[in-house]
Amino acid sequence: MTQANTQDIRLEGLTVGYGTHAVVSDINAVLPGGKISVILGGSGCGKSTLLKHILRLHPVLAGRIEIDGHDLAALDRRGMHCLRQRMGVLFQDGALLGSLTLGDNVALPLREHTKLSDTAIRERVLAKLALVGLADFYDYYPNELSGGMRKRAGLARAMVMDPPLLFCDEPTSGLDPVTAAELDQLLLELKKSFDMTLVVVSHDLDSMRTIADHVLVLGSGRVLFEGPIAELEATQDDYLRRFLDRQAASRSTPRLTMPPLDSKMMKRDCAGYQGE
Amino acid sequence: MIEARRTQLSPIARLGDATLRALGETGAMFLFLLESFGRIFRAWGQFPKIVRQIYFIGVKSITVITLISLFTGMVIGLQMYYALAKFGADGFLGAAVSLSLVRELGPVLTAIMITGRAGSSMTAEIGVMRISEQVDALQVMDINPLGYLVSPKLAASIICFPILTAFFDLVGMLGGYLTGVLLLGGNSGVYWYRVSAYLKMSDISGGFIKSLVFGIVVCTVCCYMGYYTHLRRDSVGPEAVSQATTSAVVTSCVLILLTDYVLTSLLF
Repeated sequence: MTQANTQDIRLEGLTVGYGTHAVVSDINAVLPGGKISVILGGSGCGKSTLLKHILRLHPVLAGRIEIDGHDLAALDRRGMHCLRQRMGVLFQDGALLGSLTLGDNVALPLREHTKLSDTAIRERVLAKLALVGLADFYDYYPNELSGGMRKRAGLARAMVMDPPLLFCDEPTSGLDPVTAAELDQLLLELKKSFDMTLVVVSHDLDSMRTIADHVLVLGSGRVLFEGPIAELEATQDDYLRRFLDRQAASRSTPRLTMPPLDSKMMKRDCAGYQGE
Repeated sequence: MIEARRTQLSPIARLGDATLRALGETGAMFLFLLESFGRIFRAWGQFPKIVRQIYFIGVKSITVITLISLFTGMVIGLQMYYALAKFGADGFLGAAVSLSLVRELGPVLTAIMITGRAGSSMTAEIGVMRISEQVDALQVMDINPLGYLVSPKLAASIICFPILTAFFDLVGMLGGYLTGVLLLGGNSGVYWYRVSAYLKMSDISGGFIKSLVFGIVVCTVCCYMGYYTHLRRDSVGPEAVSQATTSAVVTSCVLILLTDYVLTSLLF
């Protein structure tokens, strides 16, 4: 008999949404501890919504979420405090505080939750920034950095308390292929080196194929697949096959019957500026 | 769906609905204030943040407060001098200027000016942080967003509003002196004698209480509107931040005048 890993994230009969509107219903899944689970799906299918509910930023509509063996709904303030210190979260755009430098952003959880001296905090922050290749940017403000750098800085902040659980919302979206591949490698290294449990929300198939051990596919307001990556790659399900093979849906595309805009219809005459 | 149902309601039912929502909002705002106030005293770490907010709300408002108070005092001096001179009572100019400034105009105009200068930026700052997931980030780092964002602003408002009001009163009296005495030829000694003779401690403490209450009202409304930007029904994203900022300034100004009436009838 296999024993359940305490770091497993269990979703039982879960319905998530806003107000009375359900976005994804009846989710039953186990995101295994010590592995990278990817929550996959098309745009607007509820991936980030599910993640925010797992982080208890919004109340669930039905069902239960269990992390580290604790039912989230049953946790009191102190329990939630302890659990959140075991979690790191990388938001879609990094969500760095604009009024603080990169160093202060990464140092924030240490300053709020530990008794470390300023010197010890600086050392730790520099180590985490070095891990993501940003050690030279300690005194920079977020608006002085590129999108990719902000994401990496967000990852450094998520890692600074050495959490065993790491959640990442679209870590590679908006990044060039090289930076995205570097970030994927970084996540793999984190899992290997620190034996972390990672939950990654993504619609990037290349990234998913590189990092995922376990996949949860969402679509049409429900779970379409849950299981190991190899099982997903072998699926014969029509929708999943199309999604994995990046094929457009076979609905008929409306013909472009409208003639192109006549230059005489323009409010300003640009005839002299048109190409030969 | 809910909006559609609301438009189908009769006018009386809609009025009732709006009243219930306004009551709910007021209750939520009061709880927001209580929690933010409680968190001012939670940690020593708040002190540097409070000092930064005092600089932003207080120090940076001094120029605008000086200008407004000087011209307000000058206009009162001018108007009152001619009115009092008609009855041969121009010697009472000092009393009229100081009483109207300390009891009424000082606290109200200071609060309205700070709402426009600092209150609007409180709403915009917190609103932008809300829509860019920075507030969520604080929450998942187990840092209470109210304690981190709102409490220092509330503490700074409680400190800055009375001080700026006192400064407004002082500069306003100097403005009245400029027009009433230096420009129109009133007696300097009589002006300051009437100020000290007619201005009672109860007038000063009444103005102080008013400014304290206005500080709490303005900060609570502005931070609340920013904090719940994402729940607005009329707009989303950056537009919601701009709508929240407008609502915060308008609501604050209305509440300042409403509270002023209530406090004036209770205090004086």
